[in-house]
Amino acid sequence: MKRKLIAAVGVAGMMAGVAACGNGGDDKGKTDAGGAKEITVWVMDGSAPKAWIDEVNKEFAAKHPGVTVKVEVQAWKGIQEKVTTALSENTPPDVLELGNTQTAGYAVTGGLADLTKDKGGLGADAWPKSMLESAEYEGKLYSAPWYAANRVVVYDKKAFEKAGVTPPKTRDEWIAGLDKLKAADPNTQPIYLPGQSWYVLAGLVWDEGGELAVKDGGKWKGGLGTPQAASAMEFYKKLQSYSTAPKDKDEASPQQSTDVVPKGGVASWIGLGWEAGGAEKALKDAGKEADFGYFPIPGKTADKPGTVFLGGSNLAVAERSKNKELAKEWLALATGKDQMTKYAAEVKGSLLPNQAAANFTPAPGSFAEAMGKAGVNGRITPVTPGWANVETEPNPLKEFMTKVLKGEDPAKAGAEADKEIANRINK
Amino acid sequence: MSTTTAPKPAPAAPQRPRLRTRRPLRPAAVVKNAGALALAALFLFPVYWMFSSAFKPSGEILAKDPVFFFTPTLDNFTKATGVEFFWTYVQNSLLVTVGAVLLALLVALAASFAIARMRFAGRKGLVLGVMMAQMAPWEVMVIAMYMIARDAEMLNSLGLLTAIYFVMVLPFTIWTLRGFIAAVPVTLEEAAQIDGCTRGQAFRKVIFPLLAPGLMSTSLFGFITAWNEFAMVLILNKDKAAQTLPLWLTQFQTAFGNDWGATMAASSLFAVPVLVIFVFLQRKAVGGMTAGAVKG
Amino acid sequence: MTVHSQGAATAPQDAPHEPGGPKAPQPPQRPAGVPEAAPAPRGRRAALPSGWLPYLLVAPAVLSMAVLLLYPLAKNVILSFQKVDKIEFIQRKAPFHGVENYTQLLGDAQFWTVVLRSFLFTAANVAVIMVVGSLIGLLLNRLGKWMRLVLSMALVMAWAMPIVASVTVFQWLFDEQFGVMNWLMRTLGFSGYEQHNWFESGLSTLVIITVLVVWGSVPFVALNMYAGLTTVGGELYEAARMDGANGWQTFWQVVFPNLKPFFLVTTFLEVIWVFKAFTQVYAMNRGGPDRASETLPVFAFVEGQSQGHYALAAAISVLTIVMLVVVMSFYFRLILKQEEEQ
Repeated sequence: MKRKLIAAVGVAGMMAGVAACGNGGDDKGKTDAGGAKEITVWVMDGSAPKAWIDEVNKEFAAKHPGVTVKVEVQAWKGIQEKVTTALSENTPPDVLELGNTQTAGYAVTGGLADLTKDKGGLGADAWPKSMLESAEYEGKLYSAPWYAANRVVVYDKKAFEKAGVTPPKTRDEWIAGLDKLKAADPNTQPIYLPGQSWYVLAGLVWDEGGELAVKDGGKWKGGLGTPQAASAMEFYKKLQSYSTAPKDKDEASPQQSTDVVPKGGVASWIGLGWEAGGAEKALKDAGKEADFGYFPIPGKTADKPGTVFLGGSNLAVAERSKNKELAKEWLALATGKDQMTKYAAEVKGSLLPNQAAANFTPAPGSFAEAMGKAGVNGRITPVTPGWANVETEPNPLKEFMTKVLKGEDPAKAGAEADKEIANRINK
Repeated sequence: MSTTTAPKPAPAAPQRPRLRTRRPLRPAAVVKNAGALALAALFLFPVYWMFSSAFKPSGEILAKDPVFFFTPTLDNFTKATGVEFFWTYVQNSLLVTVGAVLLALLVALAASFAIARMRFAGRKGLVLGVMMAQMAPWEVMVIAMYMIARDAEMLNSLGLLTAIYFVMVLPFTIWTLRGFIAAVPVTLEEAAQIDGCTRGQAFRKVIFPLLAPGLMSTSLFGFITAWNEFAMVLILNKDKAAQTLPLWLTQFQTAFGNDWGATMAASSLFAVPVLVIFVFLQRKAVGGMTAGAVKG
Repeated sequence: MTVHSQGAATAPQDAPHEPGGPKAPQPPQRPAGVPEAAPAPRGRRAALPSGWLPYLLVAPAVLSMAVLLLYPLAKNVILSFQKVDKIEFIQRKAPFHGVENYTQLLGDAQFWTVVLRSFLFTAANVAVIMVVGSLIGLLLNRLGKWMRLVLSMALVMAWAMPIVASVTVFQWLFDEQFGVMNWLMRTLGFSGYEQHNWFESGLSTLVIITVLVVWGSVPFVALNMYAGLTTVGGELYEAARMDGANGWQTFWQVVFPNLKPFFLVTTFLEVIWVFKAFTQVYAMNRGGPDRASETLPVFAFVEGQSQGHYALAAAISVLTIVMLVVVMSFYFRLILKQEEEQ
């Protein structure tokens, strides 16, 4: 018995010791040391050039000595889940960037601070309506618009020249050009367009006078089962037929800008500014030279370019922030005219700042120039909390596109998608 | 903790009992060996692809006609290890993994000894419980776990992470060790006690060495589980100072281009410790396992 | 353990920690979320010297599992009866929702499709894993020293490859535009592989996922099988051979009976692991096309976390566990019986 006792005590003692060092020792990372204040800012990958954000923080530090600003760059992948949990925590990021299609989804949760009273300080009067729209929910302001961007057609000047094609102004010219490109070089895709580029489709739907979703009475319903969506999809299908891109993938898998275009054999593609930049860099790394031209997605008639989806981001303050006032001040500073002017210049106009006064005059023939021309016809997705659920994977819009491209009847596929959209958007 | 580190292989491990003398190059042997080679190639191919992609120049990783011959480059490794917090991740991963494994070994050793060697009420229930605990759906429990940690103000804690990984691997460890202890004949233990050992000494000197393969294979399992764990640390530790290597692996795939080279370089580096431990432990585990065959 | 308390019908003893001959037995159902109840204090009564020692030895294990496994599970079960969407989640509210989440699920045809698919997927995978794993294990046992080293190193390396990497590599292998498989098929002279889509349908996607899962799981089975085989004495084979048994008979007469515990436990573990597999299934094609390759864990993620219906996700997970326990109950009995024989 004594033996057993000793053995047992020994084992128990050992375990107690280990348990103590396992649970105790390494509990670090709490930053709320009293005194010195810190605010945390979450920006998305690629949104904030380092030079610019350092500048903002320098100016902020000058006004608020003793306050440090911790900038954390977040990846887009999985960001919705991350932001949702972060907003529920006691120490959320004080300022955070939100995609403009997702802002309403967070505004409704109470996780974002109401900025309606700060409108004056933020200089809300200068914001264009299209940008303000996404920052508000039910008449209250929950974020400050930051930047917007839209897609244009990026083309290989040499390939176009060789085929004798000039940037088109109408859809018909566009298609005629693609035919010429195909004839000129059968080994090159006249356009690379994956089957699930739903932002592109959105623009086509709007061109037809359709909507992705409409409010009908108190409820939203999808708009893909409509004749407008069907004819938009018909044109998309026509465009896609010039491409060998997969019908069941979007532009990010594989990444069209860095995985596909640099391999060559692509005469044109539809992308954002940073995608064009990424492609240029990848080509350079591969020892080739990029010679890109840009034109707005053509409209049905020459007087007006095609409607485009106006992507972008807003900056919000977390409701649970411990330093709301400081956070608001940082927000006002970053989105104010001075810093936005610097911002637009830093990104060479490839992102539109939140006010016309801060606009950067783009170089002729640049991406920014084409984007500016197309952007006048920019629209955003329905501003309602449920929209964020719709565009979450598996995205019914994408499924709709793949089905139609594979030959299913657009009306039928559209009705199925509308059912799913209604199911998600109204929650 | 020293008790668990690298126990000597079982004393006098008998040589593999099957000494078959074969006439060389029978057709059957050729088929056998060719099959083994083909299988090895099949299993190795994805691994080979990971390592070779890690050394490829970025433009040649994805290609319509795969590139098999290329000029190797270390760029991808430089990029992968050059990220901010890299060494913090390494340190955290090691701390959390080793901590969880050691803790699991100790706690499991005690529990499995009791289960294998002692009679007590609730023993059967405990066995069942341990068995069922292996079914624990950790992946779907992340939200519940997160809410608990959040409300207890325990987010961004390496301690909690260690504790969770420890419990993740504990059931399997108990389960396996229990089998090994049960396989050691009681008579051996008794003999030692007759020779004047205390029960504790008998455990240390007789049972423990025979457990070597069990300890090896369970620590291997525990190491792989904890080393690879992703879902928990993703949701619990948003603070980069408290994150681990699995999160590092995913950060090269962004909306701005997937840096496949860096991803594969990071994955290769990430796999190396597991491989090393594997090679080291697996041999002893298998070798020692034959020794455990005393149980017959 | 509580994972299992739902499976109470088949698994009556869910209180492994009840003290020996306890004066004050715990009530059979402990209030959920009270982990402290687990390692009930051992009375000082020690009629037998060994009376309290085992409890002391198992206490740390029981205690830690109670706090970090039982408690979150209980929380998960409670959550499944609440309404917690994004709004409630962020505001930290959890209104009682009755069995609403469950009725919604049980009435959802898609849920049942996913359940059926999950079971078929698991059965197919486990069958392939066990057969292939055992065959390779047998092969290992019959190889010469060097060849055995080569093959087991290959298996070990496959096993050690991080899942993130293996999923990425498999995606490349089967990619439509840059896939090695398409290249291989073209090189071998097959037509139609210029840009073959391996993920055309739910079934084809699941087949590819199966290849990945089998590839990743076979090493565990094969290496353990081999380790088990080395414990079967050579004289047993010898005896079987002298009796004139062929390979097939030797397997069923010698190997299988000796390794029955191995087969039981390994199959048990593989069923659990495959059924719970999330990363491989989700990352390969995100449950597509058109949600046709979703298994239960993916369904839970898509409907629950992605859409912000956290309580619904909890309900899915509870149902998953219940089903798993029911399906596995015969296994529990088998293994417990094995236990008693020892």
